[in-house]
Amino acid sequence: MSTPETATLGSRAMATIAAAARIMYPHDTLPDDVYARVGEGLAKTAREDPGAARTIADGICALNCGRPFAELSADEQLEALKGIEGSAFFELVRSTAVVEVYSDERTWQLVGYEGPSFDKGGYINRGFNDLDWLPDPEAGA
Amino acid sequence: MSPQGHDPRPVNRFPAHDSDVIVVIGSGAGGGTLANELCQKGARVVLIEAGKHHQPEDFINDEWASLNQLAWLDERTTSGSWRIAEEFPSLPAWTCKTVGGTTVHWAGCCPRFKDWEFRIRSEHGPVDGASLLDWPIGLSDLEPYYEKAEYRIGVTRTNGIPAPPASNNFKVMGNGAKRVGYKGVSTGRMAFNTVPRGGRPATIQDGFNYQGDKQRAHWSTLTAEIPKAEQTGRLDLRSEAMVIRVEHDKTGKVTGVVYVDAQGNEQRQRARAVCVACNAIETARLLLNSASALFPDGLANSGGQLGCNYMRHVTGAVFATFDKPVRMYRGETMAGIVTDESRNDPGRGFVGGYYMQLHSLGPSFLANFLSPRAWGRDFAKIMEQYDHMAGMFLVGEDLPRDRNRVALNRDVHDQFGQPVPDVHVDEHPNDVAMREHGYAAGESVYSAVDATGTFRVPPYPASHNLGTARMSARPEDGVVNEFGRAHDVPNLFVSDGSVMTSGAAANPTLTIVALALRQADHIEQQMKAGAL
Repeated sequence: MSTPETATLGSRAMATIAAAARIMYPHDTLPDDVYARVGEGLAKTAREDPGAARTIADGICALNCGRPFAELSADEQLEALKGIEGSAFFELVRSTAVVEVYSDERTWQLVGYEGPSFDKGGYINRGFNDLDWLPDPEAGA
Repeated sequence: MSPQGHDPRPVNRFPAHDSDVIVVIGSGAGGGTLANELCQKGARVVLIEAGKHHQPEDFINDEWASLNQLAWLDERTTSGSWRIAEEFPSLPAWTCKTVGGTTVHWAGCCPRFKDWEFRIRSEHGPVDGASLLDWPIGLSDLEPYYEKAEYRIGVTRTNGIPAPPASNNFKVMGNGAKRVGYKGVSTGRMAFNTVPRGGRPATIQDGFNYQGDKQRAHWSTLTAEIPKAEQTGRLDLRSEAMVIRVEHDKTGKVTGVVYVDAQGNEQRQRARAVCVACNAIETARLLLNSASALFPDGLANSGGQLGCNYMRHVTGAVFATFDKPVRMYRGETMAGIVTDESRNDPGRGFVGGYYMQLHSLGPSFLANFLSPRAWGRDFAKIMEQYDHMAGMFLVGEDLPRDRNRVALNRDVHDQFGQPVPDVHVDEHPNDVAMREHGYAAGESVYSAVDATGTFRVPPYPASHNLGTARMSARPEDGVVNEFGRAHDVPNLFVSDGSVMTSGAAANPTLTIVALALRQADHIEQQMKAGAL
């Protein structure tokens, strides 16, 4: 794990962050790649902010002081995260995870979001008003 | 700046020493409209904008990437007991730093103020903990300018412009509202084209209202006002130029501005008048940072009111889930309104009123805002119902308080070495009561169409920022007079929502545009009379 994107975070850190992100925003059918984005986002933060880099390094270390975090069961991981909820490290991971996970097109597909439509002519002929389980509102309201 | 060639922007139309130009700072709803109107009247205008000159084709249909492209993200601090200080401490407001200002992010709701909303002190009497004041003007003063503004913007349901069609999201809110007995239910008066108009196309219902409109169906100063001003040959638009000080002579008249250009060089532009339209936080900050020996507490602040009475509207959102799909993201984001609660009925437990307006977010922003800092399986399950969700925005009048204010934080400096603004808010109990009423009313609307769940969403960083240089009849009660002219400085104007003495329930842009048009008439008269 020493591609330029992850240069400042080692493989244990990347695995820990991906596992934590999946517990924080668990969508069982999403591939691991979606959660791996969170580690990449934090690596970027760490490169730009030495203070954040220390927070991440210390937080990773604390989560792995016993068995490696990534090898714990989901229930054990959840308990471990509850134990650090509110800490600077937790909030750094969570705030990165919520952006990365829900900005991924695979997540959009899962939750039923079709995204940008400008290049497809908008939704004017693609269902912006196709809801049929309620009556159309009175005209001229 | 030296006219001998140090200016790295040779495109400047007017020289720095030209003291006949009018400098307008900020190119949004107030500044962009004012600049165009002054150019149409024959004045020469230097329009200075801190942001870049993005074009609609550059806008990004991705919420976070767009925020990073368009939003004002310069450092700010927050204080006070409001939730924003806890949840978004460095982002008190969601406004834009780009040519066109926050009009590029505006969804386009165009209610007018009501008559009584101009005189809340008379309407409500004194309210503990609030600094209510009547405007020095009323609806009748502004009505002709509302008509001009609506025509210019092309507001739907005015001037024969067709109403927006009902989207999926509106069908849910509209049916629910009708079932609970609301009468004022419609797709609204909106600032986007339902038919081609003004050289701009009709909407293709492509959403992304808050991210800039790639197809130009929405009115903005970027696409509608500034291009017309440029056609006159009398506009000198300088983007990526951050004004750091307004200067004055020993008589107290302003003489021009100092700004930092895109290359980081300090420049000076002289002017016969300066119009500040930087949005309420930056307008107050600039005038405070322009303090001098003659104006020790900030320019135009002899009344001590500059930066005070900051308002941001009572806001909140209600989202709801349903058994069947909604797909709220398809179509124009805010084309729907319920007006019944915009009346003043203190029997509800608060003074002033609010609107319910159609609203949607993409998954990226919804996950952040739905329940800030939430996580875990229950939250993920809610997000998995995204395509079965409907949403509404609550926007209502918040009360001015003199201690809710924009002040300088002298411990923190920005990239230009200037003290950053600190935004302090303690919500008035009236604001809290109104929001609670709105949440309950919104839930009842969605319950009436069989919602399976409803969610009360706390306020986002505000896009409506008002009141920090308010109009007043008496100088000691505010900062500017009925035309937005500083009480203390005869050739200094404030031309944005900062001048609002009260915020009303209405989204402010239409009123900002109307006030800018009225101010332009006043400036023209003053110039003709030789007073400016």
